[in-house]
Amino acid sequence: MSVPMPRDEMMEVVALYALGVLPREESALVAAFVAGDDDARREYHDLRAAADTIAFAAEEPVDSAASARMKERLVAKVRADAAGGNPVARRRIGPNPGWLWGTGLAAAAALVFSFVTVAQDVALRGDLAQTKRRAETLANQLAQTERVSRNDRQTLTDLVSSDARRYEVAQGAVVVRGDHVYFALSKLPALPKGRVYQAWTVLKGAKAVQPSVTFTPNADGVAVVQLPVDALKIGAVAVTVEPDGGSKAPTTSPTFVRPLS
Amino acid sequence: MDRIRARDPVAFESLYDAYHRLVFGIGLRMLGDPSMAEDLTQSVFLKIWTAPDAFRGGSFTAWVSRVARNRALDVLRSRAVRPETEIPADLPLDGALDDDVFTRIDAQRVRDALAQLPSDQRDLIELGFFGGVTHQELAQRTATPLGTVKTRIRAGLRKMRESLGERVSQ
Repeated sequence: MSVPMPRDEMMEVVALYALGVLPREESALVAAFVAGDDDARREYHDLRAAADTIAFAAEEPVDSAASARMKERLVAKVRADAAGGNPVARRRIGPNPGWLWGTGLAAAAALVFSFVTVAQDVALRGDLAQTKRRAETLANQLAQTERVSRNDRQTLTDLVSSDARRYEVAQGAVVVRGDHVYFALSKLPALPKGRVYQAWTVLKGAKAVQPSVTFTPNADGVAVVQLPVDALKIGAVAVTVEPDGGSKAPTTSPTFVRPLS
Repeated sequence: MDRIRARDPVAFESLYDAYHRLVFGIGLRMLGDPSMAEDLTQSVFLKIWTAPDAFRGGSFTAWVSRVARNRALDVLRSRAVRPETEIPADLPLDGALDDDVFTRIDAQRVRDALAQLPSDQRDLIELGFFGGVTHQELAQRTATPLGTVKTRIRAGLRKMRESLGERVSQ
């Protein structure tokens, strides 16, 4: 595990986070730090406020022709959409130039080119099908990436939110916002091979613990984990070290136990 | 935004009139090409129309700025074949300024505040915000030690906040 960054240095990294110049993996680390440190949260909100204004420096008068062109195109699409139509789908195909030919000439041309056309058509259909499959695969990958990205954004937003409830533990904080509950831990010891951390939950009014997700921290001892539970129903959370794959009941002393009240 | 959620094209036109200069400006500053900035502007406003629920309250100005910046980052990434995960596609918006604050700020005030910063701080902040680069890249491009980059950005943002004074007080 690498040496944890001193707090002063972490505060400087908060400024980078506010400006939006941190790589994704470091963003998670800073989000965990901000989630568990009141001063860092204030610093983040202060500097974020300043960073948000920088966009204003880019405001430009737009050339009136360009502005009108953009607006015309956009408004046409929007009005068509609002009217329930699809301008692309409704677009009519123009007159076929073939009608300009005499009927006999058109028929002869059709005969001459029919074999070529059929062969081309088969090849094109094959290409089209392959392209469609490729497009579907890419669309699925994109949708998955967007889902992950949305989850990341939600997690980061919840962790640094001023209306989130934070429950400190020795290794960081348990953060609850709405019905979401997260572990934002930054001081987790590394584990030997074959061992993982496992989260446990206790429902309000219950005594038995329920097994939840397993996780491993990164090289800096940082783990940001969302528990797949409704935070409103949870009375306490805990973490233990378990064999890889997790356990049905805790087999070691808890790393921490934290009531959520 | 409520009227846009209710599919009101007139509300959309008003929104476009109010914000297209900001969105276009961000696109132009980041992409450096008017036609690409136009495409970006259209893409951002179509996104607003097709997915108005993506805006979940707070400052609309801050939100639309971030959406524009993120779209431009996507373009820069595709141009540079930069790994997708290098910079977060978005930042948490909670805690951003509310629109009331933004009405007290205009482009000239922000430019003045930036102009008051020492050039070594201003250059890093502007390149970071509009250039879509990480702090490591900032260090490389400006031949500045990484620690100095961090210190200058923090000091610069603090001065920005002081310069804009109560206008950015929440």
